[in-house]
Amino acid sequence: MMALALLRRYGTLIGFVLILAVFWISLPETFMTARNWLNTTQQLSMLMVVAAGMTIVMAMGDFDLSVGSAASLAGIVAGALFIAGYPPAMAVGAALAIGLAGGAINGVLVSVIGILPFIATLATLTIYSGLAFVISGGKTISGKSIPESFGNFAREGLPLGEVGGVALMLPNLTIVAVAVVFLVWVLLEQTTFGRRLYAIGGNIEAAYLSGVPVRRLKLAAFALTGLSAAGAGLMYASRVASANPTQGSGLMLNAIAAVFLGMTMSEQGEPRILATVIGVLILGVLDNGLTQLAVDSYIRQILVGAIIVLAVSAGALGKRGRR
Amino acid sequence: MLSSFNRTVRGLVLAGAALAAAAFAGPALAQSKVAVITPYLAQPGTQFYVEAFQAVAKEKGWDVNVIDTSGDVAAVISRIEDVVNQGVDAIVINVDPAQVTAGLQSAKNANIPVVGMDAGSDPLLATNVTSDGVAMAETTATYVVDRIGAKGNVVMFVFDAFPPVQIRGAKADEIFAANADIKVLDRITPDVSDGGIADSRAKMEAVLAANPASGSISAVWAAWDQPALGALQAIEAAGRQGEGIVITGIDANPQAREEVAKGGNLEATVAQDFTGIGTAAAEAVAKLLAGETIADPVIFVPTKLVTKENAAN
Repeated sequence: MMALALLRRYGTLIGFVLILAVFWISLPETFMTARNWLNTTQQLSMLMVVAAGMTIVMAMGDFDLSVGSAASLAGIVAGALFIAGYPPAMAVGAALAIGLAGGAINGVLVSVIGILPFIATLATLTIYSGLAFVISGGKTISGKSIPESFGNFAREGLPLGEVGGVALMLPNLTIVAVAVVFLVWVLLEQTTFGRRLYAIGGNIEAAYLSGVPVRRLKLAAFALTGLSAAGAGLMYASRVASANPTQGSGLMLNAIAAVFLGMTMSEQGEPRILATVIGVLILGVLDNGLTQLAVDSYIRQILVGAIIVLAVSAGALGKRGRR
Repeated sequence: MLSSFNRTVRGLVLAGAALAAAAFAGPALAQSKVAVITPYLAQPGTQFYVEAFQAVAKEKGWDVNVIDTSGDVAAVISRIEDVVNQGVDAIVINVDPAQVTAGLQSAKNANIPVVGMDAGSDPLLATNVTSDGVAMAETTATYVVDRIGAKGNVVMFVFDAFPPVQIRGAKADEIFAANADIKVLDRITPDVSDGGIADSRAKMEAVLAANPASGSISAVWAAWDQPALGALQAIEAAGRQGEGIVITGIDANPQAREEVAKGGNLEATVAQDFTGIGTAAAEAVAKLLAGETIADPVIFVPTKLVTKENAAN
C-alpha cells in the first residue's frame, strides 16, 4: 500500500529523473549543459504559456480545446495589423485582446448558456481557425510585413556572460514563460479566486451552494486561458518571424498532455501549476534529448505517448490501491 | 532502411533500459552526422527528395537523422538548435528559410553548414537546391510557340501574387512577346481559393464565349497545372476540343499527367525532378563536408517536359 501510494504520488517525478539520467549518460557532453537547458526552455516557452492557461480551466475540471486555434488567430491578427501599418505594440495589444475576447466567448458558452466545455470549445476551435484563414486568406504572413523588432524579440535575451567561449543568454521567450507561470501560480495558489476555482473543480454544487459565483468565475477563467493562448501564439509568430493560420494547432494536445502529466503528481489528482511545469519539461526534454540521440521522429511520437500512458497508469493504479 | 531500423531499435531500447540505450547511442567516431529537418515529410515530393538523399548518404556512409516536425515550423527551429548542440556536421532543411532564421543563426554560430533542399534562397544557407521555375516556363512557352507555328492567339493563366509562379509568367511573357505573330489574347489571374480549377474553367468559358470562331484561340499557356485542367474542362464542355487548341501546364501533378497521357488538348506539362533535387542536395553536403565551399547561392536541377510519349512514367 505504502509503495503504491508513493508510486502514485512520485511516479511521474521519478520517471522524469530517470529520463534526465538516461539522457545525461547517453549525451555526456551536450545534454546537461547550461546552453542546452537555456535552449530547451526557449523551445518550451510557448507550450509552457498555453499549458499554464490550460491549468486555470482544468482546475475547475473543464477543458479548452480552442487554445491552438486561438494562438494561430492571435498571430494572424498581429500579422494583418503589421501589414496594415499599425505599430507593433498596438498589433500585439489587439491580438491579446482578441485572445481575451475569444476566451470570454468560450466562458459565456460554458457558464451562461451551459454547453459542455468539450463541445463549446470544439465549436470555437473551428470558428477561430476559420477566422484565421479568412483574415490571412490562407497565406503565411512573413518577410517584410513582419517588423524586425517583432521577429528579433524571440532571438534576443538577457546576456548571462560567457561560459567556455560560448556567449549565453536568457532568452526573452523563457523570461515571458517564467513570468506567466509566476502569475498563474499567484492566481491559483495565493488568491481567493484560485481557491474558488479548485472548489468548483472539487464539487461544483457545493461550491455554488456555499456562495461561490460559479458563472462569473468560469467566464473569467476561460477568458484568461484565451489570453494565454493568444500570448503563446504571438511568441510562436515572433519565433518564426511569420504568422500562419495553422501554426498553433499542435499546442492544444500537448498542453492538455502536460497538465495531465502534472495531475499525476498532486495529492488529489487536481492540476497544479508547478506540476504542469514538470509536465511541460518532460515533453520538451524528451523532444530535445531524443532528437540529439537521433531517434526517429515517428518513434519519438510513440515514446511520448507511451510515457504519458505510463505516468497516468501509475497514478490510476495507486488510486485503486488506496480504496 | 537498415539504419532507420537500427534507429528504431535504439529508440525502443532507450524506452526500456537506460544502460542499454547508452551503449547503443555512441555513434562511430569517423562517421559524418547529417540531420535532415522538414515539416513536410508527409508530402509526396518531400519523400522523394529524402529517399534520394538517403541513397547517396548510404553510399557515403553518413549517419543521417531525418526529423519530421509534422507541419510545425517553430519545431524546425527547435530541432535545428538540438542538432547544433549535438554537434552534427551538416544540416539539410526543407522549409522557408525566412521562417527559421533563429535556427539558421545558431547553426552559423556553430559553423555548421546548412543546405536548402527546395527551401528558398537565404544568405544563411550554404546553397539551395531547387528546380528552375524560369526554365520550366521557358520549356512550356517554347513548346506552345513550336506547336502553333509561332502564330496565333494565346490565353495565359498566371498568378503574380506568388513569387515562384510570378517568375514563370514573366518568362512566358518574354517568349510570346518575341514572336511578332503571337498575340496574347488575355492574361488571366484565376481565383485560387477553391484550388484553382473551377475558377479557371469559368474564366476560360468566358474567353471561349467571347471568341466563338474556330481557330480564334490557338493555345492556352498556364503557369501551373490547375488552370490548365480548368481550361481543358471548359474547352471540352464547349465541344471545341477538335479545334486543336494546345494547352500546357507546369508541375506534372497526377491529374495533369493523366490528361496528357490521354492525348487530348492538354499536351504538355513539366515535371520537377524530386529525386534529382535530393541527390544534388546530398552532393552539395558532400562538398561542404570535404571542406569545399559552394559559390552558387542556388543550384538548379533540370526539369523534364512531360508529353503523351512519357506521361505514363
